[in-house]
Amino acid sequence: MASVQPKIKSKVRCVDGEIGEIVHVIADPISLEVSHIVVRANGTQRQVPVATIAAVRDDSVELLCNAAQVAGFPEHKPEDFLTSKQVEIPHLENRIHVEPGDLLVPFPVLEKSCARRNFFAGFIHVIGALIGLPLVWPVLRFIMKPMYAPYDNRWIKIGNVSKIKTEDVGVQFIFKKSFTDSVLQREEDKNHWVIKATPETLKKVYPHGDISFTDEKGEVIWVNKQTVPYVAFAGKCPHLGCGFKWRSHKTRGQVFLCPCHLSIYDAAGTVLDGPAPRPLDVLPIKVSAAGVIEIIDVEYKAGKKELVRIA
Amino acid sequence: MNALLQKVYDFVDERIDLKTLEAKMMKEPIKGGSRWAYVFGSVLLFIFIMQAVTGVLLMFYYIPSADHAYASTQFIIHEVDYGWFILSYHFWGSSAMVVMVFAHMSQVFLWGAYKTPREMIWLIGLGLFGIVMAFGFTGYLLPWDQRAYWATTVGVEIMDKTPVVGDFLARFLKGGPTPGQMTLSRFFVIHVMILPGALMGLAGLHLFLFRSAGPAGPFRGTPEELKAKTDFFFPRQVWKDIVAMAAVFLTICSLALIEPVVLLEEAKPDPGDYHPEPEWYFLFLFQLLRWKAFSGEFGQFVAATAIPGAFMLLLAALPFLDRSPERNIFKRPIALLSWAVVMIGILVLTVSAIINREFLD
Amino acid sequence: MAYPATAISSIKLAWALSWAAFWTGFPFKAIVALLLLAAQIHPWEGTGLVALLALSVPIDIWALGLTARTFFLERMGMEIRGSVGAGLWWQGAFLGAVMLWIAYYAVGATAAVCKKAAAATLDVVKKVIPIPVAEQITIELLMWAVPATIVVIVLLLIWLKLFGWRIKRFVVASGQTSSADLQERVREWDDWRVPVDSTLMLVSFTAVAVLLTVAFWVLLPVTTTHRHPDYPPPQTEVVKKKVKPEELLKKTDATLAKAEAVLELLEKEKAKEKKPASPRK
Repeated sequence: MASVQPKIKSKVRCVDGEIGEIVHVIADPISLEVSHIVVRANGTQRQVPVATIAAVRDDSVELLCNAAQVAGFPEHKPEDFLTSKQVEIPHLENRIHVEPGDLLVPFPVLEKSCARRNFFAGFIHVIGALIGLPLVWPVLRFIMKPMYAPYDNRWIKIGNVSKIKTEDVGVQFIFKKSFTDSVLQREEDKNHWVIKATPETLKKVYPHGDISFTDEKGEVIWVNKQTVPYVAFAGKCPHLGCGFKWRSHKTRGQVFLCPCHLSIYDAAGTVLDGPAPRPLDVLPIKVSAAGVIEIIDVEYKAGKKELVRIA
Repeated sequence: MNALLQKVYDFVDERIDLKTLEAKMMKEPIKGGSRWAYVFGSVLLFIFIMQAVTGVLLMFYYIPSADHAYASTQFIIHEVDYGWFILSYHFWGSSAMVVMVFAHMSQVFLWGAYKTPREMIWLIGLGLFGIVMAFGFTGYLLPWDQRAYWATTVGVEIMDKTPVVGDFLARFLKGGPTPGQMTLSRFFVIHVMILPGALMGLAGLHLFLFRSAGPAGPFRGTPEELKAKTDFFFPRQVWKDIVAMAAVFLTICSLALIEPVVLLEEAKPDPGDYHPEPEWYFLFLFQLLRWKAFSGEFGQFVAATAIPGAFMLLLAALPFLDRSPERNIFKRPIALLSWAVVMIGILVLTVSAIINREFLD
Repeated sequence: MAYPATAISSIKLAWALSWAAFWTGFPFKAIVALLLLAAQIHPWEGTGLVALLALSVPIDIWALGLTARTFFLERMGMEIRGSVGAGLWWQGAFLGAVMLWIAYYAVGATAAVCKKAAAATLDVVKKVIPIPVAEQITIELLMWAVPATIVVIVLLLIWLKLFGWRIKRFVVASGQTSSADLQERVREWDDWRVPVDSTLMLVSFTAVAVLLTVAFWVLLPVTTTHRHPDYPPPQTEVVKKKVKPEELLKKTDATLAKAEAVLELLEKEKAKEKKPASPRK
């Protein structure tokens, strides 16, 4: 506890009589002791140093000096002080209790300048924002590196045409695709569907003529000629990427049927029913003289009407 | 714009008493004014945040398996855009953190800010020091190259020699009798989950206790001088903190560019031509263990456990042994001398370890 | 209470100014160094070093001016008219260059002599008491590093004393005592750090910093410059020339035609040779 604890509203008595009352108590932030009391006397507020206090009683304070000397003490300037609630001085309020009202502490002179405060506050925000800035570009590129990876345009052998016995019937070819996945070499089971198409079906697959496939730069890497009877469809349904089957339908005959959301496609890949936004995706296909089927495992974004290649 | 900001401020203030919060957080008068000497604590916090950010980014591509740790680290360096820069920043940031920990501890010691009533802050600070060293030790293994593997193996073997708990501790860290996948998994989880959690918890406590006690302030100056220079934590001290953070950030970036991380070959059980060595901030202990004076089981125990252990205990007991209220370092000759001897000793032993490399071939 | 100009020690004065000025200039020099490094130019040698030193001059002049003026006002109660940084910097730099030159030889010679002495001493000692390698390294290190460090410290103190003496002369010559009390003087130098137009200052600072950051992004190499030998850079793909079948056929036809012509010629020559060579009996 601090040594002197005068109360606000206590009467103040000089050697020659009562002169007024205490309106504020001022503490020294370094010693955590009361340094002055502010006495309202004769209409003015005077800052009386604590050394002048002779005794502190319950409801009054006695001073060592007389009224004339009190009038000689400097006038209290409120703008030079803050209340103890407006600043954080540890343990100050444990040591000094003033009731009712506020304990005052000196307002640091350097902090009075608004221009100074605003400038440094602004400077802090500027530097704070700028510290992170040099990292923004490298970090974005760092995170994004695998996100727009170049397309895999390798030709993959998936099987032989001898497996296809009938025209316009979907035949599934399951194969292992090996690829580099960051630092791992992995193999995945994939499947695509190949049909041997009749000329009418071919017309439906190639309504606008040959289909060309491009790389990221827009250069043509392959053209599927509409004269080649073998058509390869990507094994993922263009609706949301599920694997589909070749099944007999109650009314539509033999169709490609996707079990997830019941999209139905005919042998040419045209949408017969269901939520599919576009026909089955046609893959680049090469058939060798010995009948070996090679495809490029092109993937398009699911759920879109246009073809947006992603892999 | 200002009116809008004021409206937002008033909205939040009505609900959580922002004004009092602001007063308590920011309007802390610092006796003697804000000083550059006080920035090291804040700089440490900044470096930790940067390490956490770069560390999380590295985790996007790092695979903590003995088969892929090396390859994935090389992938970061050679394949990922600016991966070499992020990894090198993380590496040099860890060195910067150790340097700043020594700077911060030295500043607190020299300013006598460990004395009453700040004993608990000092003790928690010692715990934080241990956590920073543990961060460096555990992170070093993760690239799984020869340097990483052997530095860790030797380090854990040294810990094994601690009496009573040594064998348990070594088996716990290795995840078995010999280093392998279990070691890597344990070091990884300790480095990315356990230590960050511990650091954040202890740092929060450290800050809370610091705010409760208030800053110790300068160790000399008349009350008039102290009052004349008093200013608030915000903006002046915060500004100094942030300028120091920017300077440290620039230094770490520069180091990352001057000396980017280059791995040795992948870890294998035979060290071959490679001479195992810990990271630079453990070199002084490493060199001490090479002294013939500490040879033999007892000697190694003295150098590896007894001396460092006694030193840390002495540091922990410091606020309780040193009860003199004098904080001026120039009036505390024993303190100044011991600090100089310790710092120079560490420096001499570190340089000796570097010179010793030539003698190994 | 201000120190009168004569009462303060030269060494303390020069130290206070140089230490503060160095760290004031450091962040700006760090920016220069970082940009040089991003452009893969080493700032410690060649053109990089020249650039760094050249840019350090205005930075140091400004930093020294600011810290000196502050110190003079607060600690010595002196106000200086005219520029401080330029007036003081060249003196410190000149003295520093001289001392560095002396130090290069003095410290080098001390270290060399002490290293030889240490090696010789230890050789003699080892004949009597065996000294293990690790301890020997540390003992030798101390035997040459301590004298060399003492020489460095002595030269540093000499530089500080000389610089401090020049600073005192400068203050006495160009300064006048301030009548303000401590609080007022502190407030005054603190105010110097607040620009007249803070918005302009902050906006231009931000603009420059953003430009420098963009320069950093452009210069920073995307992939590491220190590649591991097991990870060579990827081969750039050879651009395949497009094959034009008609041209190829034409070329082949032309080549065939040429070959046929040559063959005909050879056959004709052979026939000619055979004729005279085989007379009929």
